[in-house]
Amino acid sequence: MAGRETMKTTCRVVKPLMSTDFCEARRRAIGLYRAFYRYIPYIHKYFDIPKSESQIRSKIREQFYKNACVTDIRIIDILVMKGYMELQEIKYSWQQKGHVMANWKPTIEPRPTDFISKFLNGKD
Amino acid sequence: MSLLALDKWAKLVTIISQNGGIFKSIYKLWRFDTLKWNGKLVGTDSLGNKYYENPYYMLGRSRWVEYNDYVRWDYDATQITPEWYGWLHYKTDRLPHEDPAKYCISCCAWYQKWMLPPEENLSGTELAYYPYSTVRQHIQVWDGKSVCSRPTPCVCK
Amino acid sequence: MLRQPLTRALALSSPSRVAPLAARRFADQVQAQPDKVEVFIDDKPVYVPPGTTVLQAAAEVGVEIPRFCYHERLAVAGNCRMCLVEVEKSPKPVAACAMPVMKGMRVKTNSDLTRKAREGVMEFLLVNHPLDCPICDQGGECDLQDQSMAFGSDRSRFTDIHFSGKRAVEDKDVGPLIKTIMTRCIHCTRCIRFASEVAGIDDLGTTGRGTDMQVGTYVEKMFLSELSGNVIDLCPVGALTSKPYSFAARPWETRRIDSVDVLDPLGSNIVVATRTNEVLRILPRTNEEINEEWLSDKSRFACDGLKRQRLVTPMVKDSRGNLTPVEWEDAIVAAARALRDCPSDKLLAVAGDLADAESLVALKDFVNRLGSENTCTEQFFPAEGSGTDLRSSYLLNTKIANVEGADFVLLIGTNVRFEAPLLNARIRKAFIHKETDVALIGPKVDLTYDYTHVGDSASLVKDLATGTSSNEILKRLESAKRPVVILGADQLKTEEGAALLAYTQELALRLQDNLQDKEWKVLNVLQRTASQVAALDIGYRPGVGAALAAGPRVVYLLGADSGIVTREALPKDAVVIYQGHHGDAGASIADIVLPGAAYTEKRATYVNAEGRAQQTLVAVTPPGLAREDWKIIRALSEVAGAGLPYDTLDEVRERLNQVSPALVAYGDVQPNNYFAQARALAKSLQKPVSGKLDVQLKQLEDYFMTDAISRASPTMAKCVQAVLKQKTAPY
Repeated sequence: MAGRETMKTTCRVVKPLMSTDFCEARRRAIGLYRAFYRYIPYIHKYFDIPKSESQIRSKIREQFYKNACVTDIRIIDILVMKGYMELQEIKYSWQQKGHVMANWKPTIEPRPTDFISKFLNGKD
Repeated sequence: MSLLALDKWAKLVTIISQNGGIFKSIYKLWRFDTLKWNGKLVGTDSLGNKYYENPYYMLGRSRWVEYNDYVRWDYDATQITPEWYGWLHYKTDRLPHEDPAKYCISCCAWYQKWMLPPEENLSGTELAYYPYSTVRQHIQVWDGKSVCSRPTPCVCK
Repeated sequence: MLRQPLTRALALSSPSRVAPLAARRFADQVQAQPDKVEVFIDDKPVYVPPGTTVLQAAAEVGVEIPRFCYHERLAVAGNCRMCLVEVEKSPKPVAACAMPVMKGMRVKTNSDLTRKAREGVMEFLLVNHPLDCPICDQGGECDLQDQSMAFGSDRSRFTDIHFSGKRAVEDKDVGPLIKTIMTRCIHCTRCIRFASEVAGIDDLGTTGRGTDMQVGTYVEKMFLSELSGNVIDLCPVGALTSKPYSFAARPWETRRIDSVDVLDPLGSNIVVATRTNEVLRILPRTNEEINEEWLSDKSRFACDGLKRQRLVTPMVKDSRGNLTPVEWEDAIVAAARALRDCPSDKLLAVAGDLADAESLVALKDFVNRLGSENTCTEQFFPAEGSGTDLRSSYLLNTKIANVEGADFVLLIGTNVRFEAPLLNARIRKAFIHKETDVALIGPKVDLTYDYTHVGDSASLVKDLATGTSSNEILKRLESAKRPVVILGADQLKTEEGAALLAYTQELALRLQDNLQDKEWKVLNVLQRTASQVAALDIGYRPGVGAALAAGPRVVYLLGADSGIVTREALPKDAVVIYQGHHGDAGASIADIVLPGAAYTEKRATYVNAEGRAQQTLVAVTPPGLAREDWKIIRALSEVAGAGLPYDTLDEVRERLNQVSPALVAYGDVQPNNYFAQARALAKSLQKPVSGKLDVQLKQLEDYFMTDAISRASPTMAKCVQAVLKQKTAPY
């Protein structure tokens, strides 16, 4: 009985969300990347942010590469869906300038790392 | 006539001449972004601002102030003295000298001892008011020279 | 004097009186223990030596009997009656604190009779105690409050609604430290016993009887003691409270941080009570090895000096010669430039009274990296002979707690009472309870106990050391089983210091060689400041005289405020960099001031006079832009191009460990050896001495202000004024 239970749990096939295999998931991710890529000129035009198109491009690339290590197909699917939601928010101006700029974290000052700057700032 | 809008041109010339010639008009336009026609000087306040009226304009534009030349572009609505404020904002049609209370204020700035002369908003200048903390500092800082008294002289070798 | 009646009491075979004090650690003192007796506390059997009191026996099994007058370190008075317990076959309840146990005694600490007795006592106490807890400073730490909650009645029978009959007593004025509200007094007499037994001031006492009884000083008089603050802790109610702390805070509002005192060389353990980043008061923390549970007045009340005369921002002298506040960057760059441009033989670093071991080692490493060896301490110590190479020649080798076990104490040129008040309390304890005799060579001062004044000539030490003295002290010393010789470090400043140290070593070691107890150490040198031992351990050269004579171009003062380095002693163009926390003698001559942290504001190591490393903890943050001391030196070293290889406190302590493991063995004392070698090296220094010994702190008014913190303290200034005023009073 117990053996069957373990068999059941180990051999359980997870139900796919959207993609059935890794190739499909990869295709979806690239699809999202393309959708963003095409929208870059409009982001630059409508949001009046102090960033050039190439900077936006590299930021999008950076955000994609942040999840490069994810291998679970279901997580990839979820991330792709969230990416589309993000794109839609930008498209319909549900996000404002500040939300878009938050990707660059312009107001966060880097913490001092070496001794002398820690000393001068009085931060440990 | 209407084709060339000569009456408009004539009015422009009148306005310019009323404002003291071409250069003065440009200067005034530069300062106030507007030139008014046929304004009647109704009074001057203690700060040297001149108040004009022309009922030809609609309500809200028919009374205006030309700030003292001395302040140039640094004029500010708070430079308008209190006795003129009401007239300028259509709170009353009586001019300050027609209103006994305001007459007192404008004529005798020291009518009441406690009354200070009007003063513009000084925010952003060196004279701005800064509130200070009334909480006593619990650390007393060294003044840079004093030395604590020593009850015993030091023996040194 | 207290000693005679007490010894008579001992002779009358009442060991219970000094039972806690009789516990000794030396084998030959342990007398043959009689059989233990069995007693029953709440039917729990416990075996205790005969003579133990019921209260102590109950404590053995973890039963706490309420008490007001009883205190472990004071004689038993038995007058509060709060510790009444029922004893089987006894017709009435007995006072547990004064009742010795008897065989088979059955004590009931929670019976109806006991509870009723406590309730009754509590009711009588409260009848004449004001109900002013809301405005009483003891509120929250009051024994009467706590015990009335635990053992008192739940209702009052006090019906005097017209407020006619409550006892009221006039308040006494006993000086600027202790506030008295004598109406609150419950006559436990703890303060009286403390004053006469520990502090040695027989000023306090009682007058009148019954309702008219009053505790006081008989005549209007200040409580002239350097240990007076302890009666505040002892007082179980709010009759004696701290004057500087009055109406400042409630105990539950304060954060308490364990720390170490640095205002005297003993390194007493303290608790710093803080609120909203402000030190409110300092209390003693029990450490049997050092301060028991007492604390000297300077350590306790000088904490308000931490808020005055503070350096809160770096300062650099401007073109007109005034110190002006600048940013850290500018000050560090200015200091680093001065240090870098200075030829290495013209650089001098001087460590002051309150420097911690971390900053001392950082400064020494930094100066060494700049190619100089000139690191000095303000206090002098002879470098001849073994000098400071052997640790045994500059420490209290006997250890503070062991002084209690001595049977003869010889003080040479030291006024222990003011140089190390708690060491004096130990000697006094030995004097009273152990028949210890004390002799003093040096000026005649009041040590609060009787001693033999041998004289004040240095040649007496020589005579004793060579054994040529005809003084009877020599015989007493030689016949003593546990002699202790304490030499004051002040004497070593003089020209004859080296010879005096050599003779003292000779004397102490000659005595030590003849002892049966081979573990017993005789030689003690009592340092004056908290930083000196650590500085000597790290390798600082004692004394600045020679280095100043060489005409340094840059002088780095690490909290050096004693006024030994002066502008007049330096060349005209010398740059003085001062790092420290108080604006005082050091900062006033400085060209660049770097604000450091005081001992309550940093985690730092201090080594006390016996060589015990202890650490302070951060109680409050340093004010303004002030930084921890070792960090300042570390930052400066990097800018000056001689970066020190440690970035964190742990790395600095690792470096301290490399220098000497004793510096980071917190709480421990390493036993010292190499006495014979030190003695051999000192032989050549035994030149004739002829001077007179003199001490710096002679009177109580000299005691209060000795360092930068206590000099800045208004309370300490008030104390000095009050003592001087008391001098002119008729009593």
